[in-house]
Amino acid sequence: MRKTLISLVVPTIIIIFWALLTTYTGIIPSYLIPSPHDVFVAFITLLVNGTLISDTIETLTRVILGFIVAAAVAIPLGIIIGWSKTIENYLGFTIGILRPIPPIAWIPFAILWFGLGLGSAIFIIFVGSVFPILINTADGVKRIDKVYVESASTLGADQYQTLRKVVVPAALPNIITGLKVGMGIALMCTVAAEMIGSNNGLGYLILTATSMLDSASAIVGMLTIGLIGLGFEYIFSSMERNLNW
Amino acid sequence: MMVFILKNVSKKFTDHEKDLEILKDIDLYIADGEFLSIVGPSGCGKTTLLRMISGLDFPSNGIITENGVHVESPSPERGFVFQQYSLFPWRTVLDNVAFGPEVRGMDIEERYNLVRKYIEMVGLSNFQDSYPNQLSGGMKQRVAIARALVNDPNSLLMDEPFAALDVLTRHKLQEELVRIWEEEDKTIIFVTHNVDEAVFLADRVVVLSQRPGSIIKTFNIDLDRIRDRTTSEFLEMKKEITNLLESD
Repeated sequence: MRKTLISLVVPTIIIIFWALLTTYTGIIPSYLIPSPHDVFVAFITLLVNGTLISDTIETLTRVILGFIVAAAVAIPLGIIIGWSKTIENYLGFTIGILRPIPPIAWIPFAILWFGLGLGSAIFIIFVGSVFPILINTADGVKRIDKVYVESASTLGADQYQTLRKVVVPAALPNIITGLKVGMGIALMCTVAAEMIGSNNGLGYLILTATSMLDSASAIVGMLTIGLIGLGFEYIFSSMERNLNW
Repeated sequence: MMVFILKNVSKKFTDHEKDLEILKDIDLYIADGEFLSIVGPSGCGKTTLLRMISGLDFPSNGIITENGVHVESPSPERGFVFQQYSLFPWRTVLDNVAFGPEVRGMDIEERYNLVRKYIEMVGLSNFQDSYPNQLSGGMKQRVAIARALVNDPNSLLMDEPFAALDVLTRHKLQEELVRIWEEEDKTIIFVTHNVDEAVFLADRVVVLSQRPGSIIKTFNIDLDRIRDRTTSEFLEMKKEITNLLESD
């Protein structure tokens, strides 16, 4: 409770200053920053006409699908890379080159390969979230205390059993960290992902609102993405706490 | 009957193209059911020697056999208890001990019955659902011993398992280990730098020199168990081994 109150102090101060500078004094004109009141009105409008909820659902669907594909690729690959020096030597350089490329740069290829719409959106989100999951997983596997692996072998586990019963659970905290970071980036990619052939979603909402100079609605979209991120953060953090060790 | 035979075993590590000799010309015969202790100064290679006997490490020269068979890889037949805490932190005490039977594919009911028996043997029945981070250091090592014994190994290889414990806990665990050894009829190879511990536990104490470690001398300890640390024979033996180590 106390923590919740403390975390609300800074947003409250921001809103007070924001209101003072816009609504109450007009120091900042509304075409630069809409007032809190404008944003609230936009929020109610979008909520009442159903856009906000349907856009949230659309975006969540894309983000979760892209994220699941990314996790399904990155976790097994990360485990193999972390486990085998040879495979790391084969793939490390290639991954190193692909990783820094901004997801938005893939848009032309996404359109060519997956067409306009869902496929491309999922691909962009995949590109954004796959690397943090991969790197964290590989790192977690590499850092496993050797004594666990040696214990397993003196207790009769073969390579596969060691991987499944020791390496994966030992790396789990790092895998969850990777998922957390990956989900953050997946959400950051929503605007880019929904630039391609989407006609709904929070990214699309932000883009269209911006092009119509409706910055209040854009802020509603931005804050909604932020809140979704916070929700996922909470989910992953409670997974971490439930590890018991 | 001999279980382990080490013939002319040496170990070198290569570091920055420089050879570092760890162990030199070790010849050792370990009998079935024997309680052997290996003592030596820090860095003399006693841990490396034990790891080679287990199959976690390999000699650069010479051979190690168990019942005539070359030791090539770790096996549940040679239970290993590590110096550092090695329990899987994501598993309860019960599931840590169950690891060996589980990977062997023992069915679940039989597995847990067996596991409970060994947890009881080390006196931790009340903690079977605890996680390792909820246990004291002494309890963790008891679990580690149970986890190795549940596989019914021929031998138990122990690498300074009690080094991190306080004196009282260490003495208690030493007594329990002697009791378990008498009940279970295992060969135990126990590495330590603590002379008192070696004399208290072992039938035979092998003393290693400074690096590169080689066997200086072997002592047979012919005292009744559980040994009394205050008898003159015990103290005499301790003194003799300590003097030998210090003069090296």
